[in-house]
Amino acid sequence: MAFADRSNTNLVPQLKRATILVLFLFGLLILRLWYLQVVKGSYFKDLSENNRIRSIYVQAPRGLIFDRHGELWAGNRPSFNIELIQEDCPNEKAVMALVEEIVGLKAGTLKLDNPMSRRRRKFEPRVLLKDVSREVVAKIEARKFELPGVVVQVTPTRDYVQKELGAHVVGYIREISKDQLLDEKYAGYQQGELVGQFGVESYLEDLIHGVRGLKRIEVNAMGTRIGEFSSESEKMGNDVYLTIDAQMQRAALEGLKDKKGAVVALDVKTGGVLTMVSMPAFDPNIFTGEVSPDVWRDLVGGRPSKLNNRALQAAYPPGSVFKIVTGLAGLSENLVTPKSSVFCPGYYSFGGRRYRCHKASGHGWVDFNSALIQSCDVYFYSLATKLGIDTINRYATDLGLGALTGIGISQEAKGLMPSTDWKRRYFSKDADKIWYPGETLSVVIGQGATTTTPIQIATMMSAVANGGKVFKPQVIKEIRGGDNNILKEMNPELSREHVFDPAILKLVQKALFGVVNDPKGTGGRSKLKKFPEIAVAGKTGTAQVVTLEARLKHKDFEDHAWFAAYAPADNPEVAIAVLVENGGHGGAAAAPIAGAVLEKYFEGKSE
Amino acid sequence: MLLVDRRIFKYFNYHLLGIVGLIILCGLIILYSAGFNPDAPGVPLGPFSISVKSSAFAKQFAFFGAGLVAMLVGMLLSTKALHRLSIPMYVLAIILLVGVMLFGTVVNGSRRWFSLGALRFQPAELVKVAVILIMARYLSRIKPPPGGFRFKDLIAPGLLLLAPMGFIMKQPDLGTALVVGATGAGMLLFAGINIRTLIGIGLAGIIAAVPVWYSLHDYQKKRILTLVDPAADPLGSGYHLNQSKIAVGSGGILGKGYLKGTQSQLEFLPEHTTDFVFSVLAEEWGFLGCLLVLGLYAALIFQLLGMIGRVRDAYGAYVLVGITTLFLFHIVTNIGMVIGVLPVVGITLPLLSYGGSSVIVCMLCLGIALGIGMRRYQFGQ
Repeated sequence: MAFADRSNTNLVPQLKRATILVLFLFGLLILRLWYLQVVKGSYFKDLSENNRIRSIYVQAPRGLIFDRHGELWAGNRPSFNIELIQEDCPNEKAVMALVEEIVGLKAGTLKLDNPMSRRRRKFEPRVLLKDVSREVVAKIEARKFELPGVVVQVTPTRDYVQKELGAHVVGYIREISKDQLLDEKYAGYQQGELVGQFGVESYLEDLIHGVRGLKRIEVNAMGTRIGEFSSESEKMGNDVYLTIDAQMQRAALEGLKDKKGAVVALDVKTGGVLTMVSMPAFDPNIFTGEVSPDVWRDLVGGRPSKLNNRALQAAYPPGSVFKIVTGLAGLSENLVTPKSSVFCPGYYSFGGRRYRCHKASGHGWVDFNSALIQSCDVYFYSLATKLGIDTINRYATDLGLGALTGIGISQEAKGLMPSTDWKRRYFSKDADKIWYPGETLSVVIGQGATTTTPIQIATMMSAVANGGKVFKPQVIKEIRGGDNNILKEMNPELSREHVFDPAILKLVQKALFGVVNDPKGTGGRSKLKKFPEIAVAGKTGTAQVVTLEARLKHKDFEDHAWFAAYAPADNPEVAIAVLVENGGHGGAAAAPIAGAVLEKYFEGKSE
Repeated sequence: MLLVDRRIFKYFNYHLLGIVGLIILCGLIILYSAGFNPDAPGVPLGPFSISVKSSAFAKQFAFFGAGLVAMLVGMLLSTKALHRLSIPMYVLAIILLVGVMLFGTVVNGSRRWFSLGALRFQPAELVKVAVILIMARYLSRIKPPPGGFRFKDLIAPGLLLLAPMGFIMKQPDLGTALVVGATGAGMLLFAGINIRTLIGIGLAGIIAAVPVWYSLHDYQKKRILTLVDPAADPLGSGYHLNQSKIAVGSGGILGKGYLKGTQSQLEFLPEHTTDFVFSVLAEEWGFLGCLLVLGLYAALIFQLLGMIGRVRDAYGAYVLVGITTLFLFHIVTNIGMVIGVLPVVGITLPLLSYGGSSVIVCMLCLGIALGIGMRRYQFGQ
């Protein structure tokens, strides 16, 4: 019976077991709580912070780039982006359609730049239109009340003030590539960031980039902003002062207008690059926006392309400019004396072949001085067999030819200085591995397999001017940080040095003076009209691209025109190399450009 | 006219009432935070001229008002009246379950509610009480054979349990069905089940688990699977579990401070006023706060167990066993789910979770327990 009396004692074992069960279950719960809250507490604390704190990065303005005198080359300008903040926009599609209508775009062209990630970031503005004009900004602002969530965001954008003037030196910036994102050098960079891709912008990326700012905001589970948590302001990059002189650069650009070629001018005492122009050039500003396929094809078409820096990245046969090396080698090896003469009938017979002099009628009797001034090929042919290719190679290499200069701003072409060793290594067939003496004849006049970059020629000329010192060319004069204090200054770096007999150097320098100033000289057109008292010393070069017969058929096979010089002739300060692709005769096409650039140098000095 | 025996006051379990009061106080404090919204307009608090920025708190406050009435009703029902009510209550509960299947309102895909204007009533909650009463009546009438019930003895009470469970499963409401089953099973266990039968049922259960697994809904399967590997689907079914563990764990020893739990205040944690209210406690009050509340719950359970030992009628004892099992199962499975050791099933935390049905049923049960306790003088010496 339900209400029958019962003894309490018969429930005792059950109650005991129940008590143990309760203690056991609560014990388990407490142990688990201990594990979660005490043992792993800080781990979960991090996770909960991660949940609610979102970081927004603020792009820092890049450091400015100036020429050596403080003229601005690369600055920053405000760029207006039309952006959409989803958390403030109740109807994205309608608003985007209205923006399209206001701006005058076809319906459906606007897209949010990246789709909603799984980690919802509704507070983060998404770019609708990049870098729009002030006119468009005004239109949007005027109808702002109809466009909830649409904001005009101002971000710093690179502005290459001098446009194509410094294109190949300064370089350009572009969105970081997938490969770069994986590269250790770009650790900490984020997708979509703009990084230097070429020239100084790339070379000094870490110094110019600046430190991006960070805003940490608190959000709820819907991704809606609750408040700002903390922020670190962005830090602008360091400013760069180039060694380049804008005026000389302009003169070089003007000289190479509508031509293909390069000009490099160096400070002979430091290796500082005063001028570096490669033509045709490009406007680096085009990379800030979208690059259309047509523009891109134009940029990368041809070899070398517009994007290549012909001063560094293209190697050409040096032509007669190389006779400086041959002459120095011959005199230093005591194979010729200044007095010994050679008769030039207009050709040189060797091994049953006639090697032509550029002057078919011949130069008659020529000594070292007149041979260099008139660029007599026969005189130098006669030196070829006495010197031998490997001796020539040694002198050329000592003067920096066929070797990387180490300038660093872009990848360099090495050029080629042939030798018996090179031939052995380069060719696979046994017959091709042998060096034929006839080939030396081509090398001594800067033809054959020999190729050099314009900057190598300028470096060589600088060494001839300064007594054999090959400086590493440098384009960075100084780097300045905040408060304009100097972080880094250029130190001249000697790459190599060949100590020449001063008497021999004098002889060569005298002949180079003659090239420009002797009535018979080939380089007279480089004379400084504005500064008749300052003498230029130099050497022309007219490098054959192909054989004479082929050249007549095609303009592209026209000779490359070279002129390499330094000034003032008696106390050299600046060395220069000018190359005009398919420009014809060096004295006619290249020498005047060198003269114009050098004039700017002395103009700048006299100011 | 009500004649009150003085012994009613002598036998009244003031400890239990005090513990319940403390738990309700903790619950309201936690719920104020869980429902806290600084931007919302104030909600008036019951009849008082105070407004609060936590609508869940304000409503829960009202629910406890109703809960007190339910508790009083439970206390006023004499044990004999309860005994008489056992069968009609059970029948009524079954009728309501059938009724809700036919006429119930569908909310979130489940047909669990009767709507009476703004009020919603969940018959399954009533089933919890009805099952306790009917099982107590059944168990108090038969004497288990020595060594405990054998299988054939379990058929009749088993059917009493399975009928309402089946209807509730159909709604579907796995959580409540489990509660009903577990409460009945707990009462049978307390009465004593033959050890061999128990092992047999256990083995049968393991074998039955296979077809049961295949009959589960996909979301139910996922809830079980994410328990093993919450990272498998962090934004789907694992989200709840992950966010809850983060909330609990990030509370540390001392907690983040009242109203400062970022997981719940910033709504990373869904259902933080109802089934997951314990994570709000754990996040804001830390391990120490959890210990306090667990201690109160343990005290509640031990008070109920103590009363079982003191009452002198078998029916009253079994009702108390049922109520104790109900609370224990709710507490352990809810907290176990919140701290990631049991799958996510909709089981509330007694007196802490927001919700009228839950509050009223809990208070009614506690009222019944107090009533049985204070009337124990009526049965023998």
